Amino acid sequence: MAAEHAAVAHDPNIGCTGLDHRKMGMWAFLGSECMFFGSLIGTYLAYKGKSINGPGPHEILNIPLTSLSAFVLLMSSLLMVLALAAVQRDDMKWGKIWLFMTALFGAGFVGFQCYEFTHFVHLGLTLQTNLFGSTFFVLTGFHGAHVTGGVIWLLSLWVLALRGRLGAQDSLKVEICGLYWHFVDIVWIAIFTLIYLIP
Amino acid sequence: MDSSHSAPSAAHAPGGGHATVQTYIRVAVVLGLLTAIEIAALYVPGIPSHALVALLLVFSVLKFGLVVAFFMHLRYDNKILTVLFVGPLIMAMAIILAIMALFGAYILLARG
Repeated sequence: MAAEHAAVAHDPNIGCTGLDHRKMGMWAFLGSECMFFGSLIGTYLAYKGKSINGPGPHEILNIPLTSLSAFVLLMSSLLMVLALAAVQRDDMKWGKIWLFMTALFGAGFVGFQCYEFTHFVHLGLTLQTNLFGSTFFVLTGFHGAHVTGGVIWLLSLWVLALRGRLGAQDSLKVEICGLYWHFVDIVWIAIFTLIYLIP
Repeated sequence: MDSSHSAPSAAHAPGGGHATVQTYIRVAVVLGLLTAIEIAALYVPGIPSHALVALLLVFSVLKFGLVVAFFMHLRYDNKILTVLFVGPLIMAMAIILAIMALFGAYILLARG
C-alpha cells in the first residue's frame, strides 16, 4: 500500500483516493446530469396526456424509425468500448477506426433526430403548439445537443489520433469521453421507453 | 469481483477496462435483444396495459444497468465512483416521482 502511494505521489492527477481527478470529475458531472435530465423527464411525464389540442404523441411518433435510431445509438456504445480497448492496447489503427465509427453512428442518430423534428414541424407540432410539443422538444432537443457535443468530442480525439498525438498513455482521455458517450446512451434508453414505447 | 479490482491503484486509475472485447460484444447482443423484445411487445395483441408498462420499465432498467456496469466499467471500478453516480441517480428518480405525484400523473396506477 505504501509503495502504491509512493508510486502515485508524483502524479498530480491522482488524489488520496487513488483515483484520477479527471475521472472522478466526469462521474460527478454525470451525477449532476442525472438531476438535469431527471427534471426534464419528470416534467414530460407530469404533462403527459394533458394537452388540450393536438397533435398528440400517438398521432405523430414514428416508433419504427425511432427504434432504428435508438439501435444505432446503442451500437455506438459498443463501438466506443471497442475504441477504448484498442487505444489501451496501443492498437491505434483500430482505435482510429472505432473512434470514427462511433462518431459516425452518433452523427447518424443526430441526423434521424433532425429529420424527426423537421417532420413534426411540418405536421404542425412546434414548441408552442401544446404541452406535448414543448416538453417533447425541450427534452429530446437537450439530449440531441448532448449527442452533438459528444460527436464533436469524438471527432477531436480522432483528429488527435490521426496526428499521432493519441496513444495508450492517453487512454484516460478516451475513457472519459466514453463515459460521457455511454451516459447519453443510457439517457436515451430512458427517454425511448418513457416517451416512445409506453402507451 | 476480486479484491484486486476494488483496490485503488495508479495502474487501475487510467484504464478500468477489465471486461474483455468478447464480454462487450455479448453485452451488446443482449442489449439488442432486449430492445427487439421491447419493440415486439408493442405489436403483440392482448397484453394488458399495466403488464406492458411494467415489462418496458424492467427492460429499460436492465439495459441501463448493463451499459453502466460493463460499458462504463462501474462493475469493476472503485466503489467511490458508484456512490458518486448512484446517489444523484436516486435523487433524480425521486425528483421524477415527486413531480409526477405533484401533477397527479401516473403511468402504472390508474388515476383515482
